[in-house]
Amino acid sequence: MKKLTPYLLSVPQIVLGIIFLTGLITGITQSLGVIPVFGLEEVTFDYYKEIFAKPDMLRSVLYSLYIAFVSAGISTVAGVLICMALVAAGRTKGKMMRVVQIPIVVPHVVVAIFVINILSQNGLLARFAYMLGIIGEQQDFPMLLYDPGGAGVIFAYLWKEIPFIIYFVIGLMASIDGRLGEAAVNLGAGRLSSFFRVTLPLCMPSILSGFLIIFVFALGAYELPMLLGATVPKALPVLAYIQYTHPDLKHRPYAMALNGIVIAISLLSAVIYYMLIKKGSMLLKEKEWSE
Amino acid sequence: MKKRLLSLLLGGVLLLSLAACSNQAGSGAQETGAEESTENTAKDADVSAMSFDEMKEAAKGTEVTFYGWGGDEDLNKWLDDVFAPQMKEKYDITMNRVPMDIDQVLSQLAGEVQAEEEDGSIDMIWINGENFQSAKENGFLYGPFTEALPNFNDYVDAESEDVTMDFAYPIEGYEAPYGKAQFVLFHDSAVTPEAPKSAEELLEYCKTYKGKVTYPALPDFTGSAFVRNLIYEICGYEQFMDMEADKETVKEAIEPALAYMRSLNPYLWNEGKTFPDSSTTLDKMFADGEVVFNMSYAPYGVATGIANGTYTATTQSFQFEKGTLGNTNFMAVSKNSGNKAGALVAINEMISPEMQASRYEVLRTLPVVEYEKLDDAQKEAFDSVEIGEGVIPQDELLSKRLPEMPAELVPIIEEIWQEEVVGK
Amino acid sequence: MKCIKCRKYKKNGRNIGINIVIMALVLLIVLPMLNLLIWTVTERWAWPDLLPQVYSARAIEEIFGRRGEMLKLFGSSVVISASVSVLSVGVGMMTARALTCCKFRGRDALYFLSLLPFLVPATVFAMGIQITFLKWGLGNSVAGVILVHLICSLPYAVRLLMDGMRAVGTKLEEQAQVLGADPFRAFCTVTLPLLTPVILSALSMSYIVSFSQYFLTLLIGGGTVKTFTIVMVPYLQSDSRNIACVYSTAFLAVTLLVFGAFEWMIRCWSKGNVVKYDFG
Repeated sequence: MKKLTPYLLSVPQIVLGIIFLTGLITGITQSLGVIPVFGLEEVTFDYYKEIFAKPDMLRSVLYSLYIAFVSAGISTVAGVLICMALVAAGRTKGKMMRVVQIPIVVPHVVVAIFVINILSQNGLLARFAYMLGIIGEQQDFPMLLYDPGGAGVIFAYLWKEIPFIIYFVIGLMASIDGRLGEAAVNLGAGRLSSFFRVTLPLCMPSILSGFLIIFVFALGAYELPMLLGATVPKALPVLAYIQYTHPDLKHRPYAMALNGIVIAISLLSAVIYYMLIKKGSMLLKEKEWSE
Repeated sequence: MKKRLLSLLLGGVLLLSLAACSNQAGSGAQETGAEESTENTAKDADVSAMSFDEMKEAAKGTEVTFYGWGGDEDLNKWLDDVFAPQMKEKYDITMNRVPMDIDQVLSQLAGEVQAEEEDGSIDMIWINGENFQSAKENGFLYGPFTEALPNFNDYVDAESEDVTMDFAYPIEGYEAPYGKAQFVLFHDSAVTPEAPKSAEELLEYCKTYKGKVTYPALPDFTGSAFVRNLIYEICGYEQFMDMEADKETVKEAIEPALAYMRSLNPYLWNEGKTFPDSSTTLDKMFADGEVVFNMSYAPYGVATGIANGTYTATTQSFQFEKGTLGNTNFMAVSKNSGNKAGALVAINEMISPEMQASRYEVLRTLPVVEYEKLDDAQKEAFDSVEIGEGVIPQDELLSKRLPEMPAELVPIIEEIWQEEVVGK
Repeated sequence: MKCIKCRKYKKNGRNIGINIVIMALVLLIVLPMLNLLIWTVTERWAWPDLLPQVYSARAIEEIFGRRGEMLKLFGSSVVISASVSVLSVGVGMMTARALTCCKFRGRDALYFLSLLPFLVPATVFAMGIQITFLKWGLGNSVAGVILVHLICSLPYAVRLLMDGMRAVGTKLEEQAQVLGADPFRAFCTVTLPLLTPVILSALSMSYIVSFSQYFLTLLIGGGTVKTFTIVMVPYLQSDSRNIACVYSTAFLAVTLLVFGAFEWMIRCWSKGNVVKYDFG
């Protein structure tokens, strides 16, 4: 009976997982050019080949990776630091959390609206600068949006994802800090050092998965790069979206192939993540044993 | 005790919500099942043979879904508050408006056709241009149907090019006109007194207002129309009507226009390195005063904007001297619709003089019914409409109306623009 | 007021730096929201003014003019998303339990499977699964929409719950078992109450994933399943900023209300549990 328990517990997850895999596999076969209803039936790698032959492709891949990595990196570091501050100040519940929830709830498209309202050359910041005489006219304000540096997109992601990391980690961090942290302090460790040596390592898997979630999300989402990104280069999901909405339905496989590239990059980062976690959990186990 | 009560409550909520969902789902499935077995098969076979009165009879008490873009609050309100009640009262048909972008409608339709769904969720579609061509060629549409509609026969000029061709692609009765649109440019005459009426004037205008002119990045619908309009300005329009959809041919034909657009770049917003992602963004930039020049496919949009206060009262529409693109919006019926009769009755009602006049009055949409074919009372309904400020009179507008290019050329031009104009 | 706070933190050995960080966080979150609120009554706001030139209640009136429709829309959206979040926490709890407390063959595979939806953009999954769902009769139905939402929100729940369970550990529970409680009871009375903060996060997270899902709902619901997001997104992409902002504000308000309700329910429930634990 006891041996069976884990399997019984995982039945619903497995069923849902199979449904997910079905969708994924169908998507991948479409990228290989199999969409019977449009009269496409043969398996081919041509769509991938053609995409890689495009001159701007590499730039798009790098642009996407850059945006995803920078957004996820800054969000994670800043999120964890703020989380520390909140835990230290004991503000992990109630009103404070209500405020932190706001950005998580706001849809990306809405974030784009006020990022434009605030950061564009016509935005509130530019208007303040104009009023204070820092800039003479609109064009003097730095171009934060639609630039190949992706500043606008990254700002928008930061606004949404720093609170996400806080929300994702704080429950755990607070409970560990409350129990183990105190123990460590009682045993004579400094508050800060107990945080870094006990709480942070225990939260690490969570933090890393938070990073991964944001990274993969930013890699695969088209809304923000579409609304705030440059005309050239375009992020991968934007290219996929344009192909997907191409009136000629025979362009669908291109969209799927672009998505295939996104999935490949995501899976690769997942493997790296998995290896990190494995190492981490091994370390953790050793610690537990030594306790 | 307290705990038990609460857990009961919580469990109750859970169960309720589950029950609610499965109920909805269950009854939904039953409905579709029932429809399929009784009405659908019978109706589907005969709808092409039915007279209009029989269609009305068959459609009584049914529901018609109308899929189309949902970002226009005024249009949505008109469909919900004017059109839907009319359909309910007159024919006992319930209209269900579904806001969905056309590419997603096609995707949905493709999926349903692929899954061989007989009673599809989509009845009526708001469609035109490349999407129509794609849908028709893939066999997603029902037709021909226009000749079965009394109002189409009585009030629409079936011979006019606006009704026989959609982006130079033959309609062959698979679409009925919904409303007409024409491309217009507009500016705030208090900010820029001059209005560029040709390509040369536009270049001068851009030089004068350096950094304050731009257009939406292609493949945005409006930006794409603007670029086609510039191509017409420079290369004329006749040669494109039967041009082969081949990238090299098109590129060669539009090379002078490409050179012209590159010559605009240094004077454009952000020096033509980037363009606003959509007409929506450009509208916002214009309203905020970040740019001084705007464009729209809604010829009377400025009047609405002024009335709302979104635009200043000195905003004025204008056209190029050589004319601007005009096109027509259409309605089509999906091939696997479970309620074709209902969809046809609804389309017929939409092209009635009464509804077209109401659209003209409320939404400022150019009507699709022929003015000459109306009786005096119906004419009066159109004549009495106050169209508002900042617009071009209808006869002048229509006198400078250029036909759209063949649909296949559009994506090719969009691709060439990306490669040859942006940042060059 | 400020001084009292400072003193309090100084007492705890905290410095003003932390306070500043928190203040900055709150301001950076709240100020853009203010911008959103101003836009709900704005008609024109041109360069270079710091406040709008033309105000109007047009946008708000338009939404309130459709009160009945809006209430229905919110009702059905909240029911769908609440069901998704409850299911997601239920399934997530089972999976997380299996993953944290047991060693068994295929554990790693299960772990990977549970996190896979993180790694694939929802759009890809949606385009792939659409046809299959139509064939199974799940297309264009509420059940289908709930199912795909569940799939997308589950990894968040599993991840959060796993972290929680790891932190709580099994020692207390084992003790309870030694004292004679059966395993299920031991889990419910010992571990579950300790998990409440994490359960709350998982509920809220699943809810928001479901509530803001646009593309999936559109494709699987086929437009016949109307949620608030389905109606809102076209406005967000249109040029009427004020209407978009009114919708966003309503969206935000409803979501925060639902979160509040979750929190309230959980709090009552966990209180009840503690009471029982004391008596048991």
